[in-house]
Amino acid sequence: MRTKSKKRIYMAVSCMSVLAVLLMWYLLVDVMEITKSSVFPGLVKTFDTFLSKLVETKPDGATLGQHLLESLKVCLMGYSIGAILGIPLGIAMAWNKWCDWLVRPVFDLIRPVPGLAWTPMFILIFGIGIEAKAMVIFVNSFVACILNAYTGIRQTDDLHLWVGDVFGATEWQKLIKIAIPTATPMIFTGLRTALGGSWMALVAAEMLAASKGLGYMIQQARYISRPDLVIVGMLTIGVVGLILDTILHKIEIMVAKGMNAQ
Amino acid sequence: MEQKRKLIECSNVSKTFQVPGGENQVVRDFNFVCQENEFICLFGPGQCGKTTLINLIAGFEMPTEGTIMVNGKRVTEPGPERGVVFQNITLFPWLTTMGNVEYGMKTAKVPKKERRERAQKYINLVGLQGFEQSYPIQLSGGMKQRVGIARAYSIEPEVMLMDEPFGALDAQTRYLMQEELQRIWQAEKRTVIFVTNNIEEAIYLADRILVLSNCPATIKKEYKIDLPRPRKYTSPEFLALRKEITSIVDKTL
Amino acid sequence: MKKKTFNTAELICAVISLAVFFGIWHLGTRGELGKLMPGPLPVIEKFLQTLFGGKIGSSTLIVHVAYSLARVMAGYFIGAAVGIVLGLSMGWSPLIEAIFAPLFRIIRPIPPIAWIPISIIWIGLGEDAKIFLIFLASFCYVTQNAWSGAKNVDPEYMNAARMLGAGKSRILFTVVLPASIPPIFAGLQVALSSCWATVLAAEMVRSSEGLGWIIIAGMNNNDMNQIMTGILAIGLVGMMLSTIFRKVEARLCRWNRSEN
Repeated sequence: MRTKSKKRIYMAVSCMSVLAVLLMWYLLVDVMEITKSSVFPGLVKTFDTFLSKLVETKPDGATLGQHLLESLKVCLMGYSIGAILGIPLGIAMAWNKWCDWLVRPVFDLIRPVPGLAWTPMFILIFGIGIEAKAMVIFVNSFVACILNAYTGIRQTDDLHLWVGDVFGATEWQKLIKIAIPTATPMIFTGLRTALGGSWMALVAAEMLAASKGLGYMIQQARYISRPDLVIVGMLTIGVVGLILDTILHKIEIMVAKGMNAQ
Repeated sequence: MEQKRKLIECSNVSKTFQVPGGENQVVRDFNFVCQENEFICLFGPGQCGKTTLINLIAGFEMPTEGTIMVNGKRVTEPGPERGVVFQNITLFPWLTTMGNVEYGMKTAKVPKKERRERAQKYINLVGLQGFEQSYPIQLSGGMKQRVGIARAYSIEPEVMLMDEPFGALDAQTRYLMQEELQRIWQAEKRTVIFVTNNIEEAIYLADRILVLSNCPATIKKEYKIDLPRPRKYTSPEFLALRKEITSIVDKTL
Repeated sequence: MKKKTFNTAELICAVISLAVFFGIWHLGTRGELGKLMPGPLPVIEKFLQTLFGGKIGSSTLIVHVAYSLARVMAGYFIGAAVGIVLGLSMGWSPLIEAIFAPLFRIIRPIPPIAWIPISIIWIGLGEDAKIFLIFLASFCYVTQNAWSGAKNVDPEYMNAARMLGAGKSRILFTVVLPASIPPIFAGLQVALSSCWATVLAAEMVRSSEGLGWIIIAGMNNNDMNQIMTGILAIGLVGMMLSTIFRKVEARLCRWNRSEN
C-alpha cells in the first residue's frame, strides 16, 4: 500500500518537473522575452512551427512528413543491407576459424573508423544522391552487426554443444539449434546499436550533402536562423529514433521468447 | 540455565506477502524465546518461511502482525547488533578479505589500529590467515563463507543470524565447515539462530532445534539436544535423534 | 572463453587476407578507377609525409590529430563527470530520479550530431560549440549506464551493508558506487567512440582544422588522397583510444576480471 502511494507521488514529481521546464521556457522566452526569437524561440512559436510544418513546404521545399519519409527510406535501406550481410558474416566468423582468420585482419582495419567518416569519400564516388548516404549507413550497421553476432556466437556454452554431440547433432544442427539461439539476444543488441548509429550517421550525412531529409531540414533552418524549425527537427529526430528502437525491442522480446520456448 | 537473559522474543509473528492475484502467508503465529548464548537451529522442509524468519529478525522485512524484540528493543530496521551470514554469502566483490571484514568496523568508526587487530583476530579465527589481500573471486566457496562468518563476527553482534550458510557448499566442505563453526562458536560464544534443511547439521550444532511445519511456517515441535560436544555423527544417540526428527517432518514438498 | 593463442596457420591467413585486400586495392586503382581513387601506396606515402613534415591546410597531420583529440578530451571528461554524478544519484534516490528521468528521456534519443545546428545558433562556431556537442555525446551514454547500474545493484549487497550498520550515504559511496563501476565503464567506452564520431561530424560541418576538416576539405577539393589519409589517421587514433581505455579498465576493475 505504502509503495503504491509513493509511486504516485513520484509520478506527480515527474510531471511537475516537465511542466516546470515548459513553464520556465514559456515565461522566460514568450512572456519576458529575455532572448531574441532568432536565438531561442518561444514555446508557442515552436509548437506553431511544428503544426504548420506538417503541411507547409517552406522554407526548404518539403513538409515535415516528406523529410521524415526520405530519411527513413535511406536509413532503412542502408541499415537492412548492412544487417542482412553483417549478421551471417559475423556468425560465420565465430563458427569457422578459417573464415575468422581470413576476414578478421581486414575487418580490424576498417572497424575503428566511425561510419560517418566515410561520408566525404562516398560523396566523391557516388555523388550527393541516395547511394552515398545509404553506403555510409550500410558500413555503420554492417560493422555493428558483425561484431555483436560474433560475440554472441562465441558466448555459446561448450556444455550445450557437448549435449548436441551426445545426441549426434551435425555441425549445422549445432549451429542452428544451439549457437544461434544463444546469440539471439546479442544479435539484437547489435541490431539496436546499429539502428541508433545509422540514424545518427544519416543525420550527419544529410547535413553535409542532401536536398531533402531531416538532417537537411535542420541545417537549412540554421542557415536562415530559424531555431524554432531546428528544434522541431531535433525533436522529430529524437522521437523517431526512440520509436524505431522501441519497435526493435518489441520484436526482440517476441523472437527471444520463441527461442527460449523451443 | 533458567537465569539466563532472554535475548530474542518473537510473539505472534505473522508475515504475509502480496502476490499477483492474492496473498501468500509464509509465517503464521510464530512464537519463541531465545536465551543468551544459545545455539538454535530452525529446521524445516523446502523453501518455506525459514529465510523470511531470518529476514524478519534481521530487520530486512517487517512482520505483518506481531512483534520481534531483540535485547528488549523492538526490531524496526537492520543493525549491527544482529550479524547476518547470508545464504548467497554476498561478500562485497570489490573489497579484499580484509576490506570485507573491516567494513562494519569502518562504518562504526573504529580507529584504524584497533580495527586491523580485530579484523586480523577474526580472520585468524576462521583460519584464513594468508588470504587477507585476496579478492572474493580468488577464494573457494568454503573460504568465502568463512569470510562471511568473520565479517558478521567482526561487528561483535549480540546475535548471529545464519541463513543456510553452508547450503551452497559441497558435502565434504559442508562437514568441515560444521566442525569449524562449532569450534568458532565455542571459542567466541554468541547467540546463534541457524537455518538449515539438513538434519545432521542441526543435531550436530544446536542446543535446541525448532522443527518448522510446511508453509506457512509455525513451530511443529521443539527438541533440546544435550549431547556433549564435539558430537559424533555416528553415535547411537545422534542416530536415534535423527530418526525421530526425520519421522515428524512434513514429507510433502 | 577460450584463451587466444597465436598459431602459424592463423598468421598465414592474416598475411594472405591483408595481401589480397591491398593487392585488389593496388591493382584496381591502376586503371580507370585510379583517377577516382588513389592506391594504397600514395595514401601511405602522403600519410608519412604529412605526419610531421608536410602540411595539410594550415598544419601537419599530427597537429590536426591534436586538435581533434583535445576537443574530445575536454568534452568527454566533463560529460563523464556530470553523467556519473547524475546517473548515480538517479539510481540511488527515487526523488532525484523522478525529477530528472523524464527530462533525460526527452534529451537522450536526440543524436549529439543533431545538436550541431542549434548549438551553432546558440553558442556560435567556435570551440565551445564543439565541446558542448562532445559533452552531450559523453553525458548521455554515461548517465544512462550509471543510472541503470546503480538501480540494478544486487539488493543483497545493500542488506549486507545495512546489517553492518551502514547508513544511506555510506551505502551510496561504498556499495552503489563500486558495484556500478563495471556498467559505468561500459558506458564510458561507448561514449568514447561516440565522442570520436561526434568530433569528426562537428569538424566536418564547421572547422578549419582537425581530422574531420581534413576529410571534408578533401571532398571539397576533390582530393581523394587527402580523404584517405584522414581516414587512415582517424582509424589509427580510434584504435589507440580503445586500447588505452581497455588498459585503464583492466587496472581499475581488477576485482571483476573473471567476468570480463
